[in-house]
Amino acid sequence: MRASLFITCYNDTLFPETGRAVVRLLERLGVEVEFRAGQTCCGQMHANTGFRREAFCQAKRLVRLYADAEAVVIPSSSCVAMIRDQYPGLFEELGDEGLRKDFAALVPRVNELSEFLVDKLSVEDVGAYFPHRVTYHASCHGLRGLHLGERPFRLLRKVRGLELAPLANLERCCGFGGTFSVKNGEVSSAMLTVKLEDVLATKAEFCTALDNSCLMHLGGGMHRQYAGMKTIHMAQILASTVKEPAEVAG
Amino acid sequence: MSAAAEQTVLDRAELDPAKAPPFPVAALPVLRNVQLRKNVAHAIDVIQAKRARLVAEKTDWQALRAAAAAIKDHVLENLGAYLEQFEERCTAAGGTVHWAADAADARRIILEILREEKADEVIKIKTMTSAEIQLNPFLEAAGVRTYETDLAEIILQLGEGEPSHIVVPALHVNRSQVREIFARRMGIENLSDEPKALTAAARNYLRQKFLLVPTAISGANFLIAETGGVVVVESEGNGRMCLTLPRTMITLAGIEKVLPRFQDLEVMLQLLARSATGERMNPYTSLWTGVTRGDGPQKFHVVLLDNGRSSILARKKERQTLRCIRCAACMNTCPVYRQTGGHAYGSVYPGPIGAILTPQLEQLRHAQSLPFASSLCGACYEVCPVKINIPEILIDLRAQVTDQERKTAGKFFDPMYVAMRSANLIFSRAWLFHAAQKMGRIGSRLFTRKDGWMHSLPSVGAKWTLTRDLRGLPRQTFHEWWAARERGAK
Amino acid sequence: MNAVASSREQVLGRIRAALRGRQNSAATAGQAAEAYAGLARDYTMRGELTVRACQERFVERLREYDAEVTECAPEELGSTIAALLAASGRRIFVAPHGLPAEWLAAGFEWKIDQDLPAEEIEKADGVVTACFCGVADSGTIVLHHSAKEGRRVITLLPDWHLCIVRASEVVETLPEYFDRCQVSGIRGQKIGNEGTREQGNEQTGRPPGLVTWISGPSATADIEMTRIKGVHGPRFLNVVLVKDGEQGPGNRE
Repeated sequence: MRASLFITCYNDTLFPETGRAVVRLLERLGVEVEFRAGQTCCGQMHANTGFRREAFCQAKRLVRLYADAEAVVIPSSSCVAMIRDQYPGLFEELGDEGLRKDFAALVPRVNELSEFLVDKLSVEDVGAYFPHRVTYHASCHGLRGLHLGERPFRLLRKVRGLELAPLANLERCCGFGGTFSVKNGEVSSAMLTVKLEDVLATKAEFCTALDNSCLMHLGGGMHRQYAGMKTIHMAQILASTVKEPAEVAG
Repeated sequence: MSAAAEQTVLDRAELDPAKAPPFPVAALPVLRNVQLRKNVAHAIDVIQAKRARLVAEKTDWQALRAAAAAIKDHVLENLGAYLEQFEERCTAAGGTVHWAADAADARRIILEILREEKADEVIKIKTMTSAEIQLNPFLEAAGVRTYETDLAEIILQLGEGEPSHIVVPALHVNRSQVREIFARRMGIENLSDEPKALTAAARNYLRQKFLLVPTAISGANFLIAETGGVVVVESEGNGRMCLTLPRTMITLAGIEKVLPRFQDLEVMLQLLARSATGERMNPYTSLWTGVTRGDGPQKFHVVLLDNGRSSILARKKERQTLRCIRCAACMNTCPVYRQTGGHAYGSVYPGPIGAILTPQLEQLRHAQSLPFASSLCGACYEVCPVKINIPEILIDLRAQVTDQERKTAGKFFDPMYVAMRSANLIFSRAWLFHAAQKMGRIGSRLFTRKDGWMHSLPSVGAKWTLTRDLRGLPRQTFHEWWAARERGAK
Repeated sequence: MNAVASSREQVLGRIRAALRGRQNSAATAGQAAEAYAGLARDYTMRGELTVRACQERFVERLREYDAEVTECAPEELGSTIAALLAASGRRIFVAPHGLPAEWLAAGFEWKIDQDLPAEEIEKADGVVTACFCGVADSGTIVLHHSAKEGRRVITLLPDWHLCIVRASEVVETLPEYFDRCQVSGIRGQKIGNEGTREQGNEQTGRPPGLVTWISGPSATADIEMTRIKGVHGPRFLNVVLVKDGEQGPGNRE
């Protein structure tokens, strides 16, 4: 099986260790990973901030780039949600029938990471070892956009040594919301404080999620507060083995 | 209590979208108001828990939502026809139907009716629509005393405050504040702050008003086209008082309130109370049709209000906004509303529905910050009984606002606009993106401290570092690592 | 009145312009009827409880909101009413002019409502009425304000309301209540109810013109979400459920 990794603009720049973990994990599971050099961004930031025209450009590029990919894997539920929820409307508005068809053909081949593992590879035990107490944060796009449901939990429960601590008020938004985090910085911060109450109450060593966007916000807050908990993308937990433990950045 | 006791001053909130400060600014004082945040969180937790329990027991909940959305969409697609049918039937049943193109029109019509009736006082059933058209100050200025009869509305009227929620408008006020307001304005000595005592005080205060004031104003939850009937849903009984005892009844209703048939209430009534107050059915729901001889008001007027609703009809994506049945489930579940309460929205309609309805009613001349007052978490869409896809509309409104703003000279150099245009350019070519990443890595070193994190950023970034650190840019991007790996493999 | 006419034309004109080009849009409500008939309604129409269970649920839901419920056999109705009135400690009662004479228990002062002024009704301690229907799911009593249910004001001003509900008048779901109104339409079928009971406004096949759905004594949670019963409207609701053992439409088991 061949999978084309769409790393996402912010992971490429800020969280390359997540990408490295995805590659290590998929190769361990026998997947041949390719990486198309022309990739940049899915357009979500622009689309959600009102810069629709700009989002069109990025959407077109992405569809053209992956038109012939066997499968696209994306370690970011918000980017997958952008493609599934907003691209249809964008392409309809653009009125380009060819592009719309290409997109329609591509979309079944686009996978968020946990979807790829559980649904396409039919695997829950990925042979991971991560001997830590961990709590899982359900990002809104993953929860309500992609309906990931039990997938992340099923994967985490099979990780050896991992103690899963449930997060109270799991469904409540952490307050990141993309550019909302700066356009409404104070409200975003209030929401962060409320969310961190629940996160810290788990007494976990790590807070994990399938989106580094939420983790950047939660982790940034915890770092500011000297909170004694770290964040880590779930790909890095799943890639972690006894021989090659996870890269845990400071 | 001594005479020198402090007078309760309820938060002066500006709910006129033309005057209200933008959401990020309006939210600031609220975020610092500990009492208010506590009250709001408590109130919505209570309603949410009740709602969740009842929805879980209702096995056909999703089917009801689907049917309600379909009925409402059908009405909107045929709005003119159904309104005309309502007008015809209501008139045949003895009512008088008026049409109001906008708020000023509606106020004028209502005042004219009151003048004809020589009314110098009116009792009112709570209706957000009358707040939308700013009716009370207008009538007061014209010499007509208005008496709110809903408990929350009395608290706000006597305390000179503003509603912060569409179903529980005074949820931001606590009992000691209510006690002080009632004691002072109703002239009661030794009034306790027990809700029971406060409610009894309101009951006594209003009794005479109900029996004596001959003119009443209401809103409507639903208008029935088939029969010309009007439906009001309530809990306290003040609605029944106002629509039974007076001589003249005036109902102000948005044009989107119409339903095709009486039997459509079987869907709407099952959804509304569960969503609004977490009850299977609210205590009193009343339906009346025109005028019934010997029972209730003998003069009945309906004022059908447009005020921007017809412009919402025109846009395909936005039309679903008009499905709203004003249950407030969206704001009860909204994590943003939870922190800010209603006043931050600068509109009589707050929360997620306010964020899409108000800018549209204002035709994007005002309230442009509201579509951005959301983290797009989608919780509102999940609970909306008529399945309004609020996040989708928020995103579309953001695009409309941005398209409008980017034309103005001032916005061209706004840091956010500059950043977005630059980012788009950078994303348009992989080599540009890579070059920008390299530059970013170098530039960010300025801000990166010894611990490898950035603690303080300029411009747009300052709002991030208000409360969060940002990890410094890694020395190697993922694509650089991949390229090196490929090279090494060869 | 020119200004009024043009507002109407303005609003309708805007609506027309907004909907221009939508093929679903009809010029008249009659034309919209076909689209309306095709709307999907997959929600529960009929309940699944047995007759007995349905009545039990009705009683349970009534008691949940602190209504007093007394069950009795049809032949015991008169005496049950008398006992409840006596137990209430109240003396003056309003009755709708069509209330069965057997229900006007002796030993109390009865004001029969033939357009009583509000001040007179205010002097009463309570009111006794029949009802159109009960809905078990929500513990709702529905009044259509017929001759034996009375004008709306008489169940509003007095503080104590005794409502007589026949078991045969209790349905489980709200859609079943709407069926009972005998308005043909959504479900196409006409439900026959060959009884001698009054229907709505004495007209079968047409929706009622006046309805009050009562699901509890008045209440508010406006002050700190503390639920307080009895704001306006009767604070005390009493129900007699007459086990007349019949079932109307939707008879199950």
